[in-house]
Amino acid sequence: MYEAVHARPDGDSTVARVAKTAADYGFDGVVVLNSPGTHATYDATTVRDEYGVDVVDGVEVRADTKREASGSVGNVRSTHTVVAVAGGTPALNRFAVENDKVDVLTHPMARGGDFNHVLARAAVENGVRIEFDLSGVLRQSGGRRVRTIQSLRKLREIVDYYDTPYVVSADPASHLEMRAPRELCALGEQIGFSSEWIESGLREWGRLAERNRRVLSESFIEPGVERGRYEKER
Amino acid sequence: MKHLPKHLRPRWRYLAVGIESWPDAKIGRRAFQREVWYAGQNLLGDPGSADADLTVVRFAFEDGTGEALVKVRHGELEAARAAIACVDEIDGSPVGIFVRGISGTIRAAEEKYLGRGGQVSEERNVVFGNEERVAVVRDGSADVRLDDAFAGATDLDLA
Repeated sequence: MYEAVHARPDGDSTVARVAKTAADYGFDGVVVLNSPGTHATYDATTVRDEYGVDVVDGVEVRADTKREASGSVGNVRSTHTVVAVAGGTPALNRFAVENDKVDVLTHPMARGGDFNHVLARAAVENGVRIEFDLSGVLRQSGGRRVRTIQSLRKLREIVDYYDTPYVVSADPASHLEMRAPRELCALGEQIGFSSEWIESGLREWGRLAERNRRVLSESFIEPGVERGRYEKER
Repeated sequence: MKHLPKHLRPRWRYLAVGIESWPDAKIGRRAFQREVWYAGQNLLGDPGSADADLTVVRFAFEDGTGEALVKVRHGELEAARAAIACVDEIDGSPVGIFVRGISGTIRAAEEKYLGRGGQVSEERNVVFGNEERVAVVRDGSADVRLDDAFAGATDLDLA
């Protein structure tokens, strides 16, 4: 199971510290989802060897308009394994699910955003995963938390009906905000998710990273065509 | 009152919980108990938190790490786990919280999951992000004191 994290300078803890905590909590890996402007410096191999946790270089594009987002996605696609777009406004949600360069649409219901059947279908078509962001349930209180839980339920019903691919995250910005997979499953059960649903959402990050690494690797040419053992360098 | 016959006594489970925060956090037992009950009530409601109980029976916290034992009614474990996960801040300090394990008796829980402390923390001058800083180092983790906050790091980040 993987967790998507924000590391320094986007969050309070370095990638190494987050990875160390993830190892203690029983995660198999972390996806670093900093914004393009707050790039974290780390050596994924060293961290992996030290703590036994896979580190995936991701990026979360945060933009106010579709145009801005489109430019950023184009810039970061070839250099990062996982490309996410922070949703929120209807225009950005729509941009993300209609773009097959995007891997994940994060917090689609934040900032007053909304989700519907049209977006769900587009997301299936383009293989864009919808993120279930549990941070609001973990760290908000009162009426705002109630609305967060409501929006998660709505999102779940739509995603469930259309079999849209999805990921689950607690969206931690430091090692203190991380929670172990079992805790997230237990929390999910309280707000109407099954624990299998949560687990599968946490695993999806790993599947996504593995697929993208294969696609970005040099031996991959196009689906069904890969560099084999008879290929000679020219 | 005379105590209940054995078959009528409630069966308890004890959750061993690890607590982590920044080195300057001051977290007391009462504050922790208050936050746990508060989280329980907010997530599970009055009936749910009454069922789960969530009494803190052991507590220790020093220098940014601690541990506690929370009493939970047998059969309400997952609800209690969810409630405990929702404790995110105690007296203004952000906390990381992790259920280390569950036992049927206080003694077994203490022996198996508590008292792992032992790792002494020390203040050290380090170089972090090309600047000289003071860090509290413990067991490979380092909390680096910045101008107005802390940064979580490990010995891999320090030069």
